[in-house]
Amino acid sequence: MPLETSTTYPLTKLRLDGRRWNEMRVFQAQISTNPASSGSSYLAMGNTSIMCSVHGPAEGRRGEASGSAGSGGAVVDVDVNVAGFAGIDRKRRAGGSDRQSTNISTILRSAFQSHLHTYLYPHSTISIHVSVLSSDGSLLAAAINACTLALVDAGIPMPGLLCGCTAGMTGSASTPKDPREDELDPLMDLSLPEEQELPYLTIGTTTMVPVGQNNMDEDEEDGETKVAVLNMDSKVHYTYLDSLVPVAIDGCREIRELMEGVIRGSQRM
Amino acid sequence: MKSLRRDPSSNSQAANVASKVFVRSTRSGKVQKIVRELYLRQDIPCSSKLCSICPSIAPPDRNGNIAPFVLSDQPAGTKAFPRGHYLVPDTNALMNGMDLFEHTGAFYDVIILQTVLEELRNLSLPLYNRLLALIKTDDKRFYLFFNEFRLETHVRRGADESINDRNDRAVRTVASWYSEHLKTSAAKKGKKAKSVPAIVVITNDKGNLEKARSENVTALSLSDYVSGLEDSERLLDMITEAQVRESKGPGRGELFYPEYYSMSKLQTGLRAGTLHQGVYNVSPYNYLESSVKVPAFDKALLILGRDNSNRAISGDIVAIEVLPKDQWKSPSTKLVDEEAVTRNDNPDSEETEAVVSDKERKALQDEVKKAHGKSSEGNPQPTAKVVGIIKRNWRQYVGHVDSNSTGSQETSGRRQQNVFVLPMDKKIPKIRLRTRQASSLLGERILVTIDSWPRDSRYPSGHFIRSLGELETKGAETEALLLEYDVQYKPFPKAVTDCLPKEGHDWKVPQSKEDKGWKGRRDLRHLQVCSIDPPGCQDIDDALHARPLPNGNFEVGVHIADVSHFVKPNNAMDLEASIRGTTVYLVDKRIDMLPHLLGTDLCSLKCDVERYAFSVLWEMTPNAEIVSSDFTKSVILSRQSYSYEQAQLKIDDKSDTTELTESMRQLLRFSKILRQKRYDAGALNLASPEVRIEADADEVGDPLNDVKTKAMLETNSLVEEFMLLANISVASKIYDSFSQTALLHLINQLSKKRNMELDVSSSGALASSLDRCVDPKNPFFNTLVRILATRCMTSAEYFVAGAHAEPEFRHYGLASPIYTHFTSPIRRYADLLVHRQLASAIGYEGEDGHAVIEGVATRGKLEDICRNINYRHRNAQFAGRASIEYYVGQALKARGEMEQKKNADADAGIKEEGYVMRVFENGVVVFVPRFGIEGVVRLEDFVLPGESASFSASERRDLAIHRTTEFDPEEYTLRVEEKGHPEKERSVQVELFQRVQVNVSSVKEEGRGAGKRRVRILILDASDK
Repeated sequence: MPLETSTTYPLTKLRLDGRRWNEMRVFQAQISTNPASSGSSYLAMGNTSIMCSVHGPAEGRRGEASGSAGSGGAVVDVDVNVAGFAGIDRKRRAGGSDRQSTNISTILRSAFQSHLHTYLYPHSTISIHVSVLSSDGSLLAAAINACTLALVDAGIPMPGLLCGCTAGMTGSASTPKDPREDELDPLMDLSLPEEQELPYLTIGTTTMVPVGQNNMDEDEEDGETKVAVLNMDSKVHYTYLDSLVPVAIDGCREIRELMEGVIRGSQRM
Repeated sequence: MKSLRRDPSSNSQAANVASKVFVRSTRSGKVQKIVRELYLRQDIPCSSKLCSICPSIAPPDRNGNIAPFVLSDQPAGTKAFPRGHYLVPDTNALMNGMDLFEHTGAFYDVIILQTVLEELRNLSLPLYNRLLALIKTDDKRFYLFFNEFRLETHVRRGADESINDRNDRAVRTVASWYSEHLKTSAAKKGKKAKSVPAIVVITNDKGNLEKARSENVTALSLSDYVSGLEDSERLLDMITEAQVRESKGPGRGELFYPEYYSMSKLQTGLRAGTLHQGVYNVSPYNYLESSVKVPAFDKALLILGRDNSNRAISGDIVAIEVLPKDQWKSPSTKLVDEEAVTRNDNPDSEETEAVVSDKERKALQDEVKKAHGKSSEGNPQPTAKVVGIIKRNWRQYVGHVDSNSTGSQETSGRRQQNVFVLPMDKKIPKIRLRTRQASSLLGERILVTIDSWPRDSRYPSGHFIRSLGELETKGAETEALLLEYDVQYKPFPKAVTDCLPKEGHDWKVPQSKEDKGWKGRRDLRHLQVCSIDPPGCQDIDDALHARPLPNGNFEVGVHIADVSHFVKPNNAMDLEASIRGTTVYLVDKRIDMLPHLLGTDLCSLKCDVERYAFSVLWEMTPNAEIVSSDFTKSVILSRQSYSYEQAQLKIDDKSDTTELTESMRQLLRFSKILRQKRYDAGALNLASPEVRIEADADEVGDPLNDVKTKAMLETNSLVEEFMLLANISVASKIYDSFSQTALLHLINQLSKKRNMELDVSSSGALASSLDRCVDPKNPFFNTLVRILATRCMTSAEYFVAGAHAEPEFRHYGLASPIYTHFTSPIRRYADLLVHRQLASAIGYEGEDGHAVIEGVATRGKLEDICRNINYRHRNAQFAGRASIEYYVGQALKARGEMEQKKNADADAGIKEEGYVMRVFENGVVVFVPRFGIEGVVRLEDFVLPGESASFSASERRDLAIHRTTEFDPEEYTLRVEEKGHPEKERSVQVELFQRVQVNVSSVKEEGRGAGKRRVRILILDASDK
């Protein structure tokens, strides 16, 4: 059995993969990986890797346009598929989705439905397909990032990049924080073993690009940062949120810079 | 289509990412392949204070702090390493020598590798936890080095390399990196490379040692290293016995014990119900008889003899199999003492050993005969045998070396030899110990641990940990008691004392009511509050008041020290207190649950100082009917702190009509009414022998005068009654608010009855039947019965409300439907928890604005705490009792010596009254109320009428052979007579509960040199006058 972060971190200030509290895993991404789709991306954060492709905006199927959101603009449809070989055990999934992937797709759908400028495409559907090739923690955050990249590749207008990152505490953090002797540090970008052991949350932020300026390359004048997604499945005492949220937001900013680099560096064919 | 391959050139970090791939099998047998990323880095410090490189690269944590460097700049050296050394142990060394590493005399500056820690965790969780505790303490200077993440010390497993070889290589790599690193750093400072400390790998693996030599890494085996230390003999004994055995090789001697069933067979059997699982419990009177209580049967199963008990030790969780009916037996009616029966076993010679020695066999035969002979009426009980151990519960045992077992080799000095250690706990068998220092260990209290109990050995073998000091010295015996009952007695660590208020003794209740400490507190300083406690009490946790109200009713208040104000949930002090669970009172020592500053000053409700309190206020009619009750945090000012006697005098003094005295009189009147009501409701008046020892009496007088039975004054019951009332009120309050997690306290129904016609269906019925058990001739008889009844009760326990159905809450002894402990938070952790729950129940916000209940709201955690405090509570009681017993023994000894001085042949004992508590076939157990002690009286210790009263133990020893007994198990009588003696008068008959004249003295056991002392009781006269 491997060691546990909560016991060894206070002694060494190192996590169980050798990172420090504020270090992300290796981030790697490409866009336009699949020419057959309107937009596509491949993204890896550590051993978590995800492929994402976007189709549309296209005419709505089966009268989806008459749905609740249909009158105003495009409907975002998200389909998440976790490959059977993505985890430690090979799983044969009957009938497609399980609880985890349904959960992720619901969050993604509501996040992007309100994030994208859907009013530009009335009576149409934007469908996003997320395939998780390998899952090693921070799955939701990685999926948000992959979707954003694919949507950018598809040329669908949005107010800014939506970036996701996780943050956790090095301990169960189930009791009130004691400001005098706080041994717990927040951690950025959790891996799977850490997620299983520690409480964590996922945050997605978006930074508005001020309208009317071509600001993609002006790092100095960041627009307003807004939290668009906040998801937490584990328990933590609320006094620790003060330290968790800023770390996750910092992580999102780092990821935004990395993603901007990816977008800038790619030439569209 | 673009390639999706990872491109290392695009990312500078990526070059330093390695993967750890390993395979593990799950419990269900599935094999999983696990891939983990490893980020290799160069900023992991070496943590040596010598190093000049690392401080600049050591990265900070979130608050910008850099972890302080651990390893000393002047590490201790040995002859071989004059410049000092850092140790790098491998896993095996830690497995075999954890006691050594914990030793305070050596083993400082140790580098623990991540590889080693991980391996140790897989091998033994307890050792892993001990090692973690070592790393956390500052003074041992253990440093946990994450070698797998440091670029230079990361080791990739070779294609055909075994995992062990790889880990060994990792250890060697670290050692060479460290010495290289320290040399470079020294060179930077301009020092010579020679002045750096050596890095010594400690490993027991021969291959590893050899490879280390070829790679120029200093490596030593554990025993080689220890031999080079100053105190080597003592330390060498602490290396685990198992390792020595291993080297001897298997295959010698016959196997004495049957093999255990395989794990899978055990599990199948347990599931099928053919085997049973339970805790192995040895009888305190007969070491060959033990019982296991299993859920499948109402009564415990008996296990008789060594064969059947098959290497189980009291406290282990065992799997047992029921024996066929023809082997069922009735429980023994004989006293069998291991020391007496196996006195002559030789610890060295295993060849001649049989599991059941002839003497033992004889002792057993007698019993079988008994069982068969009486089988008409005495019904045999089901017996069982142990077939497997589910979990060993071995701990460290306190004992002393049996001087017989050192034999003639005593003079041979340093040669290693086998000796027996007799544990203090009679239920534990002798432990075989290999030692080089047998002669110096003689006459000392020592701490040993059991390593193994192989099938070819009659006794378990263990190793020496440390000596506590000479036998019978106060220090050694007290420490032995504390260790034996698992009492945490080490001083509070710094983390705990850091939680104390910074003002120390100068802390005061804030003047201004605006202060946040006053938030939610009521000002009760105007009340005439006083406290009543035993004389000399320093930790005063309760105070009382009563005053008339305008409507003719009375306001009665109980004020309890507000400990929860100072001990915040889940800080280091709270955790320490929850581990200690209770304050332990020994005769001359108090082991506090909370640091001194809190217990005796800041929390203590001393007179004339303002203190925070938690108050329970009732409005009572003059007939002590409760009109309303109210709970609040408050500030009080105690006017007086009385002792019981002082308070009694004040109350009795008719001329004193101050408000304070009047209020005490009122309280006393109420308490009497309340008490009567309680008895009417069927509460029990149970007794337990309580003896009080005033340790500081002057030394000239008779030492035994210090021993006093506790006097009961009216004021004692005054305080007791109101504490009960407060506890009951609080219990129902917190149960209302926390129906799932309230911490309550209960005594189960009588678990068994013994010897008497007692109605146990309800406490009321029991109380009245107890009252009927009166013998007009024997005024003490009733008390005796009560003592026995108290013992038969399952001892009281704390529990979490959600775990039991409500009807089960009844507190049997108190005849109250619900009960908890609220009134002594300074000395009991349970009370502290109840304080927190009550504070939350009344909506007290705490000074920081958020509720204080956090952390006690989850049931699982509370259940853990309950289990611990129940255990600690029981042990604290045992320790207290044992301490009194020890003191009485010492007082008797001092008296004996004094008498001897005056008159050479005066009898060393003292005449007292005793009562027969249990009757066996070859002896009785006598209780002496004057000293509150119980002792076994053997055949030789009966003084027959007409016999010359020689009391020397050595002369009497042989008498036993000449005596025969008649034992009647139905009537519980025992007649002792001399074999073949014609006169009928020359016999003594005793029966249960009989009053006897006894001679109590303290004797050294004969024939065991520096042997231990025991209280010896002689029955002088059994005629019931």
